[in-house]
Amino acid sequence: MKRITKMMVSTLLVASLAVGLSACGNSSGTNSSSGTNNGTAPKAEKVTLSFWGISTAEPERSELEKIIKEWNDNNPDIQIEYSGTENNAYKTKIKTAIAAGEAPDIMYSWTGGFAQPFVEAGKILSLDEYLTDETKDQMLPGALDNITYDGKVYGITYGQMAGALYVNTELFDQYQVKIPTTFSELMTAVDTFNQNGVKPMITGMKDLWPGMWIYDMIALRESGSQLSLDALNGKASFTDPAFVNAADKIQQLVNAGAFGNGVLGMTQDEAEAEFNQGKVAMLFGGNWMASKMEADSSMVKGKIKAVRFPASEDGKGDPTEYVGGGSDAMLVSADTKYKEQAVKAATYLAKAQAEQGYLSGINLPTWKYDSLDQSQINPLAKEIMDNIITGAAGSVPVWDIYLNGADAKTHQDLVAEVFANQITPEQFGAQMQDKVNGN
Amino acid sequence: MQNLLGDKKAIFLFVFPTFLVFTVIIILPIFFSGYYSLLEWDGFSNGKFIGLGNYVDLFVNNTDGFTKGVKNSIVLAIVSVGIQLPISLLLALILARGVKFEKLYRTVYFIPVIISTVVIGQLWMKIYHPNYGMLNIILNKIGLGFLANEWIGNTQTALGAVFVALLWQYVGYHMLLMYASAKSISTEIYEAAKIDGANEPTLALKITIPLMKPILRVCVVFSVIGSFKAFDLIYVLTNGGPLHATEVPTTIMYTSIFAKYQYGYGSAMAIFIIVECLVATVIIQRMFGKDPVN
Amino acid sequence: MESNVMTVPQMNPKSKFSFKTTGKALLSLALAAYAIIQVYPLFWLLLFSFKDNNEIFGGNVLGLPEVWRWSNYTSALTTGDVGVYFINSIIVTAATILLSSVMLAATSYAIVRMYWKLNNLFLTYFLIGLMVPIHATLLPLFVILRNMHMLNTYWSLIIPYVAFALPMGIFILTGFLNSIPRELEEAACIDGCSIYKIFGKIIIPLLRPALATVAIFTYMNTWNELMFANTFINSEKLKTLTVGIMSLAGQHTTDWGPIGAGLVIATIPTLLIYVLLSDQVQKSLIVGSVKG
Repeated sequence: MKRITKMMVSTLLVASLAVGLSACGNSSGTNSSSGTNNGTAPKAEKVTLSFWGISTAEPERSELEKIIKEWNDNNPDIQIEYSGTENNAYKTKIKTAIAAGEAPDIMYSWTGGFAQPFVEAGKILSLDEYLTDETKDQMLPGALDNITYDGKVYGITYGQMAGALYVNTELFDQYQVKIPTTFSELMTAVDTFNQNGVKPMITGMKDLWPGMWIYDMIALRESGSQLSLDALNGKASFTDPAFVNAADKIQQLVNAGAFGNGVLGMTQDEAEAEFNQGKVAMLFGGNWMASKMEADSSMVKGKIKAVRFPASEDGKGDPTEYVGGGSDAMLVSADTKYKEQAVKAATYLAKAQAEQGYLSGINLPTWKYDSLDQSQINPLAKEIMDNIITGAAGSVPVWDIYLNGADAKTHQDLVAEVFANQITPEQFGAQMQDKVNGN
Repeated sequence: MQNLLGDKKAIFLFVFPTFLVFTVIIILPIFFSGYYSLLEWDGFSNGKFIGLGNYVDLFVNNTDGFTKGVKNSIVLAIVSVGIQLPISLLLALILARGVKFEKLYRTVYFIPVIISTVVIGQLWMKIYHPNYGMLNIILNKIGLGFLANEWIGNTQTALGAVFVALLWQYVGYHMLLMYASAKSISTEIYEAAKIDGANEPTLALKITIPLMKPILRVCVVFSVIGSFKAFDLIYVLTNGGPLHATEVPTTIMYTSIFAKYQYGYGSAMAIFIIVECLVATVIIQRMFGKDPVN
Repeated sequence: MESNVMTVPQMNPKSKFSFKTTGKALLSLALAAYAIIQVYPLFWLLLFSFKDNNEIFGGNVLGLPEVWRWSNYTSALTTGDVGVYFINSIIVTAATILLSSVMLAATSYAIVRMYWKLNNLFLTYFLIGLMVPIHATLLPLFVILRNMHMLNTYWSLIIPYVAFALPMGIFILTGFLNSIPRELEEAACIDGCSIYKIFGKIIIPLLRPALATVAIFTYMNTWNELMFANTFINSEKLKTLTVGIMSLAGQHTTDWGPIGAGLVIATIPTLLIYVLLSDQVQKSLIVGSVKG
């Protein structure tokens, strides 16, 4: 009997040596070079770059495949090999792969707090020595802000987000409501719609981020972009009246029935569907929601206007500022064997996706887009670009992008508690300060 | 026979491949997790050794409401054993004693188990939806409109609502296990008992259920462990919300590891879940006593 | 179904009799009602797969679709290479069931029937696997599979799936083996066959019903698994069906109709295999019960 155990244990030991017990073992970086073992080969070495992204659904998927095919046709020596993973699953996958030292050569990432741990752990290539001024000139001002850490650029953005207040003009006309430009006008609009049995606003709080967008927007109106950023960077306190007032305004809206009876039970998919059925007067949300509103199946097609969120009468913020900023980026792995080529390809991918995303209304570009055929652009997306972004005094990323993982979650949770009237505005400010800036 | 069944080489061949795969794929990661659980580590940078600090955070400081999650999972285990298993047992007993369409029912009752959790989650979200959900519509129709609720959007009702969905999903699972066991009881025993004038409930209580003891123990163990590890459907339905009302240890663990970059902390939760399951299993085995066979 | 209930043969014509019939009728009614509740998800999924977001989210949740959108099926079938995904799922699932069945049967047999001292220890050891929360194993497993150079191959899925199928399989099979008499093997042994022959010729056939039960569970877990399949596989050529279907979810907005259609497509083989295997379970169970 003992012999059996002995046999098993010894064989297991051998096997475990083969498996390798080290978690942090560093593999040879990438496993992407296909069939080119002769490392001493002169130039014209054929290189295959692995690229992971999240474009898996139509139309993004086909568009991206087209973009990659064009590159591969033009660059026979540098081939891009794409692997797409669904949005949520991708978050788990990319973190696991990076943690195990198996990052692809080029990868999609959200900017701000999502990429920060990778950058800090030295897993991402700093692009400063690769990015030429010529490239940077093609980008919009501030395009790289959200992917810059400690003064170094670690990625190339292509899409930016902007929060917009979508208003259903048909309902506004029908009940003769003025499209609100100040918070008190917003409250009036809410009351009027409620009196007429129309749901004034809707938000998918079950997903947490939609309500957080509203809070971050109001906070920006109250504080102004500088104070918002200072607080997010720990240089100012969330107990500042601006952030407390913003929470108070959320509760004013909730208590006035702006979002109907229950706010916590609905997903954003459900909320948007209800808005697109023409049952709701207003929706505050991201620019990408425009593409669904303008889709053929939408019952509000052509009836929606995208406007700036109303100003706060007592707020310090400039009423042209918006929440958003560069959010989608291409990163290059620090372990890649082909740094030069990977950066070149990542730059191409970013630029091409910026254009394609704008045309289809999914993304607002962080690259200059004058060369695009303006008539091809999704009308609502153009409206957001022209009315909200152009001429804005500044912008702040939505906070769950700016903050890192745990803090982002804390912020979302606290905003949900504000929506549910579980905490007072003062408690919100104090807890934000304590949990996010406290350590 | 003795010699054959004591053949060491055969035993090795029969057991070792299983042992190897099992050890490398399941046990080894537990050791990794055990080690990670002693670190303050985001998964990427160099971890900092903090001893039992993560465990102190979990239970003494209770930073992420972990104890509430544990409490929820224990409640789930209790209602699983107290409500779900009796329903499964009842169905299994009825079907095993032979009713019309026995085979059809047996097949159909199991269907929720084989359907992807994505589908089950979407379905229950539609059932519970405040505006157009089936549950509220039915309540309104039968004059109980005042009971209509947000169900999974209301912190008061969310946990109960999620539990109902979870219990429903696995009734068929336990039923199938119990049915197989009940069906294998010899009909002669029943005939003999019937001659003595026993009716169906007595038959079930006095003969069938005692003979089913081994499988009942299995079901209780699965049910409790399953409750402690429950994740998929809760993740799809509420992801622990609203306001953490439906949080269980696995959802907190998942959020910690994959959303909050707290790999060490999340690993401590994983280790706790394993220990919790082990303890529960030992207790259940004790309560059922020794296996009557062998 | 109600009419059937009424004509249930009456076997006990006494005074209690009508009371009993009503009881039986009620019972049948309850069973039928419960059956409807259990099949409802399939029916709902089918309707769902023909709707668009407006109907799915509020416009028309329960009713028949206003327009039968076959285009959902076209999108589901044309996004990516569904045929390839389907074959991959079949390969991975079949290999998992096959491998795990053989390993389970052999190990359970050795634990229950063969003579060695540590059998109970090994049994307990394997059962620990039931308690492991799968999400915590993702990173360690990724590292292990990388070091074994298995990432992005079928093996990176098959081996973990087999491993996670083992604990419950061993649990069920050892229980089952405990309940069948030893005489059969001993009778076979008189004819002087080897242990391998006993295992192959006598034990495996005996275990068939239990193996079928285990196979159903293994199938479910393997066919529907998402986390490993998403993380360990990069190549489009190796993706499994469930991953392919969930890829239809977009970055910001999701068309649920095609996903519904994809799920219908993925559920059909599940139902087929389930009905097939469950028949096998049924037949073997009857054989088993006759034997006592």
